[in-house]
Amino acid sequence: MKPNHILLPIYILFTLGLIGCKTEQSEEEPKKMAIVVSTLNNPWFVFLAEQAQLKAKELGYESKVFDSQNNTAQETDHFENAIASGYDAILFNPTDADGSIVNVKNATAAGVPVFCMDREVNANGAATSQILSDSYSGCVAIGKYFVETLNKKGKYVEILGMVGDNNTWNRSKGFHSVVDQYPDLKMVAQQSADFDRNKAMEVLESILQAQPDIDAVFCGNDAMAMGAYQALVAAGKAEHVKVFGFDGAEDVVKSIQDGKIMATGMQFPIVMAQTAATFADQYFKGERKFPKKMPVAVELVKRDNIENYAAYGKED
Amino acid sequence: MKKAFRYLLFLVIIAFVAYNSVYFKKLDEVNAGTDSFNGRKFATKFWTEKLEPALANAPEAAQLFDLLKANREQAFSRFGKSMSIGNIKYFLVKGTGKIQSVEENRIVILVRTRSGEKPVTIATEYIFGNAVRDASGQIDINDFANSSDLNAISAELNQIIRDKVLPPFLAKVKKGDEVTFSGAVELNQKYPDLVNIEIIPIRLGFNTSLETKPE
Repeated sequence: MKPNHILLPIYILFTLGLIGCKTEQSEEEPKKMAIVVSTLNNPWFVFLAEQAQLKAKELGYESKVFDSQNNTAQETDHFENAIASGYDAILFNPTDADGSIVNVKNATAAGVPVFCMDREVNANGAATSQILSDSYSGCVAIGKYFVETLNKKGKYVEILGMVGDNNTWNRSKGFHSVVDQYPDLKMVAQQSADFDRNKAMEVLESILQAQPDIDAVFCGNDAMAMGAYQALVAAGKAEHVKVFGFDGAEDVVKSIQDGKIMATGMQFPIVMAQTAATFADQYFKGERKFPKKMPVAVELVKRDNIENYAAYGKED
Repeated sequence: MKKAFRYLLFLVIIAFVAYNSVYFKKLDEVNAGTDSFNGRKFATKFWTEKLEPALANAPEAAQLFDLLKANREQAFSRFGKSMSIGNIKYFLVKGTGKIQSVEENRIVILVRTRSGEKPVTIATEYIFGNAVRDASGQIDINDFANSSDLNAISAELNQIIRDKVLPPFLAKVKKGDEVTFSGAVELNQKYPDLVNIEIIPIRLGFNTSLETKPE
C-alpha cells in the first residue's frame, strides 16, 4: 500500500474548483438527474440506464445518460460535466470499486448526492446510498446447482469480470464457497474477460486449445456466458459443456428455455434503478436518512423454474 | 556537469512518478475485502452472543409451517427476515421430530403439524449461503465497509456448522430417532416451495441426550 497524502492538496483544490463550478439554481428550476453508467456496450446496463431514466421522468425530473465505456478517466469527465452543468443528483453505476471513490467524493463535496446502482464503491458513506445486487448469495445458489448438475466431479473454467469491480469477486467467492468444497471439481483455468461477450469468446477459444476436455464454464455475467457458448459451438463442444451465467439478460433467459445455457442468477435492475431514482426524489424533498447499502436479492433461474421469470426480472 | 545533474534529476523524477503510477498484482491476490476484518472472530462472537440467544424467540416449526399454509403474507411479515429488497426471506425455526431417513446429503425429519406429519429436510451436505447470518435479523449491513466482509461472516458461520454442529450428530443419528433441531430456512416469497423446506442446522440434539452445539 503506497501513501497518497501527496495528492491531498490537489484533491482539495479540485473539490473547491468543482464547488465553484456548480451553478446556483433557483427553487423553481426543475431538478436534473445524471445517470452515469459503466458501459452501454452491454444490454443489461442499457436496460438499467433506461429504467433509471423512465423512473426519473415518471417522478417529474429531467435526466441524461452518460456512458463511461468501462473507463474510469471517462467516468471522471462525466462527473465533472454533470457537476458543472448543474445536475442535482447522480444515479451511478461505477466502473471500479476503488477508482470511482474519488468521483463520488467530489460530487458529494459539491453538494450533489450520489446513488450507486448495481456496483459499489469501497468507501462506506461516500455515496448517499448504494443499491446493490446480492451477487455473493446468487452465486452460492448457482454454485450449489453447478455441483449437483456435475455430480460433484469434473473439470471447469471460470471466466471473471473486471478485476477492479467488487461484483466480480463477490460472484467468484460465492461460487467458490460452494464448489471448492468438492476436490473432484477441478478448475483448470480462471481468466478475466472484463464482462465482455467478445473477450469471453476469445478467452475460452484460447483456453480450449490447452484444455479441450472441460465439462463446464462458470461466467461472471451473462454477456460472457453467451460469448463462452459461442466459443463452445465453434469448437463443437456445446452439447457436452455446461455453461452458467449471471444477470438474467434476455438472450440467456431465452437460451435457458432452449436448453443451451444451464442457469443464471436473476438480478433485478428495475428494482435497483427505480430505488435509486426514488431515493434521489426523496433527497430533493428533504430526506437525508438513507440506508448506506441496500442489497437486492438475486434468484436462481434454471430449466425447471424458467417459466417464473422474464429477462431482467421483468414482470410478465 | 550542470547538464548532467539536470538530466539525473529529471530521470529521478521520472522514475519516482513511474514507480508511484504503476504496480502489479497477481489476479488471485486481487479481492474486494478489507484486510482488517476478521470474519472468523466476528462469526464466533456473533454465534454465542446473538444467534444462540435469538433461537429462544424462534417460532416452532409446526406453528410456522401451519401459518405459511394458512396465511403466507402474515408468516413472511411476522417471521421473515432479510437484509435485501426482493423475494428471498429467511426464517429462524426450532422444533422436534422423528428421523424418517438419513441420506447422503440430508436428513429427513417428520414434524407434527395440524395437517399431519410433514417431512422437513435438514441439510447436511450443502451448508452454504446467508440463511444463518440473516435469519436472526441481528446484523446491520451499515456496520460494514463493503459486502465482502458480510460474505465472510456467512462463510465462517457455515464453517462452524460443518465443523462443530454436524459431525457429533451425524456420528450417532439413525432412522427412528426422536430429535430436536434449530436452524434457518430460506424461502422465496413470490414462489415459495412449501413442499421441499430445507433447514440449515444451528443446533441438533436427541431428545434423550444433550444437544450438540459448538464449544
